Amino acid sequence: MAVTACWAGAGEVPRSAAGSGTGDISVWAHQGTVPENEALIGIVADFNRSQDKVRARLRLTPPADYTGTVLITEPADLPDVLEFDGPTMASLVANGKLTAITPYVSSGTVDNATDTIRAQGMAGGELYGLGMYDSGLGVYGDKSQLDAAGVDYPRGLDDAWSAEEFTDALGTLAARDDDGQVLDIRENDGLGTEWGTFGFSPVLWSAGGGLLAGDHAAGVLDTRETAAAFERFQEWKRYVHPNPDGTALQEREVALSWAGHWVYGDYAASLGSDLVVMPLPDFGNGVKTGQGSWAWGIGANTKNGTAAGAFLDYLLGDERVARMTEANTAPPGTRSALAASPLYGDGGPLRLFAEQLDRPCGDRDITPSCVAVTRPVTPGYPVITSEFSQALTKIYGGDDPRDRLSGAARAIDRSYADNDGYELP
Amino acid sequence: MSRPGRIRAQGPLMALPALAGLLVFVGVPFLYSIALSFYEVRLGSPEAPSFTGLEHYRRLFSHPDISPPFRRALLNNLTFAVVVVPLQTGLALALAVLLNRRLRGMGVLRALFFLPVVLPMALVAVLWRPFLSRGEDGIINAALSHLTPGSWEAHDWLGSATTAMASVIVLSVWQGVGFQMLIFLAGLHQIPDERYEAAMVDRAGPWQRFRHVTLPGLRTTVVFVALLTSVLAFRVFDQVYILIRGGGLNEEATHTVMYQAVTTAFDQNNTGMASAITVVFFLIVLALTLLQRGLVRTREEKS
Repeated sequence: MAVTACWAGAGEVPRSAAGSGTGDISVWAHQGTVPENEALIGIVADFNRSQDKVRARLRLTPPADYTGTVLITEPADLPDVLEFDGPTMASLVANGKLTAITPYVSSGTVDNATDTIRAQGMAGGELYGLGMYDSGLGVYGDKSQLDAAGVDYPRGLDDAWSAEEFTDALGTLAARDDDGQVLDIRENDGLGTEWGTFGFSPVLWSAGGGLLAGDHAAGVLDTRETAAAFERFQEWKRYVHPNPDGTALQEREVALSWAGHWVYGDYAASLGSDLVVMPLPDFGNGVKTGQGSWAWGIGANTKNGTAAGAFLDYLLGDERVARMTEANTAPPGTRSALAASPLYGDGGPLRLFAEQLDRPCGDRDITPSCVAVTRPVTPGYPVITSEFSQALTKIYGGDDPRDRLSGAARAIDRSYADNDGYELP
Repeated sequence: MSRPGRIRAQGPLMALPALAGLLVFVGVPFLYSIALSFYEVRLGSPEAPSFTGLEHYRRLFSHPDISPPFRRALLNNLTFAVVVVPLQTGLALALAVLLNRRLRGMGVLRALFFLPVVLPMALVAVLWRPFLSRGEDGIINAALSHLTPGSWEAHDWLGSATTAMASVIVLSVWQGVGFQMLIFLAGLHQIPDERYEAAMVDRAGPWQRFRHVTLPGLRTTVVFVALLTSVLAFRVFDQVYILIRGGGLNEEATHTVMYQAVTTAFDQNNTGMASAITVVFFLIVLALTLLQRGLVRTREEKS
């Protein structure tokens, strides 16, 4: 079937059509957590009840299968509206599966998207997707352990730990710990998966490197500074708790946890006011963090783009964005919902993540002053994330960082050379 | 004369559906694999695949970055097979002999040993992670620390290059040994009781009965189990994939050819190279199977 899909696809690129703006539209989304599913099902039902011109038909697919399903489905069989994992967007665009959404959604919706959400959704100068939510990444801490050890910890972006200070803090905390394992890096989630790339490419960026520059990884992924940064990363392993069941911070077996926004709910429930949220350490080129998450686009073969756009406009309205982000604690993807969010707005416990997103880098031009980096928007992203996360796993296992990073860079460059630079249309 | 002729024609005719199925589901995909291995293919791309000739094979055998991991995968597969085939076969035989008694509760014990077979290998990998976890909380580390009053230093069973493959072997044998045990139990039941009675009359002890009655009686079964286990050993993927991705398993020490083929195709979007890997692997396994079969025939002729 994959073979058939390959060769059958060799033909003219499909075109979207505006259509009448009435009738049924099909919608595909990944099956998320129970609260997320309930929120989305409710939102779709509300959309259908709110007017009588368009009826959205939702189909949920388990997340492990969802991206693969979209990959192997021919453009003609894709729905009018589909969700996709942000970094995979460029591949979908290159494969003729998504259409630009600007002709179909209102300019108000586009303007209200946060800068980082738009950065994730732009490819080849066109906007192909917008997300209801973004992501946040930092270091969570247990204030009682930090205070007891006399560790001075950052209160915000402007006084972030340097990599050296972070290492010192780990040593100080470890000296007072029974087993010396005071840091969780969600090792159990698998450094060889997308978590490895999302969670630890900030180390690269903060060391002045990156995953890609133009269509080359060599010279940006494998620099002296990035190698030194990952040697530092290797040093931390002796302080890292494997955290096999994901509860090390909740049970205060560790003092620090390097993790994304999605663990906030569990951490807050266990630590209460002892929970502090801090930026990732600075390796010299300023604090950097990951960004991006699931987003929504319009199928390239839609015959009802106007109706699809109306659905997206509804989905990205403040009330719906607030409802979804209340379900999953993710940073809202629109300016107004982000500002109004109890978690991310002024005084909220995750305000730091909003501040990071408010200093976007895009996926290039990673300067010392910007913070939230979009993963490279390129059809070759699957190769990039595969190579980087594999290199990360091996570095974490003790291999020489310079060797592993340069090997990954060569593999990425080889793939780009084989595929004519993975150009976007 | 017409009757024998008609009967002779019916055999192939009845086998036709199975042969057609085999051709469609095994033969055609394999030919597609061979074809794909000469192209640069991007899954889902509207662009037609481009012909690259033997480039994928050249890289597989001589590219400084691509060839070593492939050779290592072959070595890992071979290591796994060389250890697992005798170990699992021997263990299954031992279990079968131990459990082949008419004692009360024996059925329950057999069921218990068979239970892991019902679990998919991916689930087995997940079940074993807490045991092999590298921290002090890891069940094996905790047990060893308890047995050696605190002097045991927590060991990273999955992450260490020296113990990673051993860990995979242990959990794989644990999962599969019950199935082989079942086959041996069936084989044991086919050995006539009269032979054991004759041996008893000759005052043969338990070990002698095992060597001269049980083993000869199981010769065919041993060969079958070894062949079956060999095939399964070369297919290793699930447990390796799950534990590399989510368990900190040392990749270099454990990645197999199937792991490399799958990740090349779906993570690196390189279907052509993945096809070349599977074609080469098929040829190697075919050669080993023919070799194994030749050895078996030689032994049969001698006996």
